Amino acid sequence: MPSSKIMAARPPRKEDVEPSHEILFALDNIPLDLPIARAASRVVSGFLDYLILIVLALLWTVTVLLLLDWSGTARIIILLVVGYFLLEYGYFAVVEVATGGRSFGKWTMGLTVVTRRGGRPPTTALLLRNAVRSVDLLVGIPLMLLDPLARRLGDRLAGTLVVHVRRSDEWVLHRVPRGWGARELAVLESFLRRVPDLEPERSQRMAQRLLACIERDDPDLLRGAPAAGDPVERLRQAVSAEKL
Amino acid sequence: MHYAHFLRSRKPIWDEFEESLERARGRQNPSHEALEKLAFRYRQVLHDHALAASRYPETGAARRLERLALDGTHWLQWDRPPRGGGLGGFFRHRFPAVFRRFLPHLAVVAFLFLGALFLGLSLTVVQPQVGVALLGPDKVEDLRRGHLWTEALTTTIPPAVSTSVIATNNMSVALTTWAGGALAGLGTLYVVLLNGFLLGAVLGATMPYGLDGELLTFIAAHGPLEISLILVCSAAGLALGRAVVAASDRPRAEVVQETGRDAFALLLGCLPWFVVLGLVEGFVSPAPTVPVPVKIALGASLLALFLAVALGPGARRSEDAYE
Repeated sequence: MPSSKIMAARPPRKEDVEPSHEILFALDNIPLDLPIARAASRVVSGFLDYLILIVLALLWTVTVLLLLDWSGTARIIILLVVGYFLLEYGYFAVVEVATGGRSFGKWTMGLTVVTRRGGRPPTTALLLRNAVRSVDLLVGIPLMLLDPLARRLGDRLAGTLVVHVRRSDEWVLHRVPRGWGARELAVLESFLRRVPDLEPERSQRMAQRLLACIERDDPDLLRGAPAAGDPVERLRQAVSAEKL
Repeated sequence: MHYAHFLRSRKPIWDEFEESLERARGRQNPSHEALEKLAFRYRQVLHDHALAASRYPETGAARRLERLALDGTHWLQWDRPPRGGGLGGFFRHRFPAVFRRFLPHLAVVAFLFLGALFLGLSLTVVQPQVGVALLGPDKVEDLRRGHLWTEALTTTIPPAVSTSVIATNNMSVALTTWAGGALAGLGTLYVVLLNGFLLGAVLGATMPYGLDGELLTFIAAHGPLEISLILVCSAAGLALGRAVVAASDRPRAEVVQETGRDAFALLLGCLPWFVVLGLVEGFVSPAPTVPVPVKIALGASLLALFLAVALGPGARRSEDAYE
């Protein structure tokens, strides 16, 4: 069986069997997976947003105190009270409406708000999902954990979902070793994508194992590639890999 | 089709789609031709995505196509609601329509509020210790001396400050009672019952000292509308709770979303009134120079104005259109 050694034998994980994706049907009934953002990434994104909110509140306080002298105490109180109120209820709504569903926290975590059909949410939906944020601070996390689509209360009311925005750093192979199927190709491309994040020694060791598999299944592929040098680079040349 | 061949033959299409999408995103109004071309390429990308997802799952091509299909869907599908004629149109048609729709819920929360008010009033009259527990010994001592705590609004706090504090606080209460409805209506019921009970209890606590008339005079200018607005927001919250809990012959998600949109419209229609109320409560209500009949007339006029907007001549027509 070609290249079976590179596929680590493992029992199927839960996410292999039950993907946490919402499948919608796009044009011509083509199924389209929505990569749903789970509770963990949502919580981190919310935490970052609240940090920003605290910083903004502090900045507002300092600005008001610096610009107005203490003789205008009444004005200071009014500006602070109104400012805090607007920040509390307006920050998320204004930022999401202005960016089409990406607050600072979501942008950092690579998330965005979409409708149930994957489209751009209307302004009303963005305002609505943020109007119940105070209640979601109490029940949002349990709701997201229990819901397969990780929707908090605001999402249920507004008909929205939060999804991951994929990065464009895919590698593709222009030369495919004989007998290799989609899973083997996916492993090789995934390895090439992750090389920058791997320790150099480990990536070279893995590249050598992959080269050995190619040599066994389709030695012709390695003819053009130099025999010595960096195994990762040799692997790239052998399969004419390029960034997509 | 061989994977390499699939890439070779289709990659230019994907690149072109991605470039067109980037260009379209950068423009305010893309041309008709550009949009048509983009939609055509989107369709091709969708088909390629379906092919890659079934034959080459998890490969770089499949992942890129999934991203492109999602990006395209996100950009090309914009669920914009129909134009409602701006702010004027909202207050002429949309707000009256949803106000009428939620009238039964308003009747329920008004009944609950009055019930809680009566309970608080009778409990405090029968058991004065309840008033002490709610107001605190200092305020009860002030009452004994013949002073209402509302006098502080004129003596210690500038009206402009109390206006901003009152307006933001009232809006927070309205938002809480509205959003609390999403918790199966429990949050709304809590706010309605608590506020009704507190108002009754406070009124009951002032009665033994003969200050109830003064308290009613204080709330005459802002009270009617303030209580009405809180109850209207509570009605919207209760409707939300009902949509979450009660079953109907339509999918629950659909009913919750529709009620959510309507309840939000009702909330938006109420919020501007709180600013007006803040001004009245900060400047007029505590002012001893304003005669009592003027305060009563102002309170009645504000409520009448609100009801005129909510039940105005456009209401029936817009309700028909809404249905």
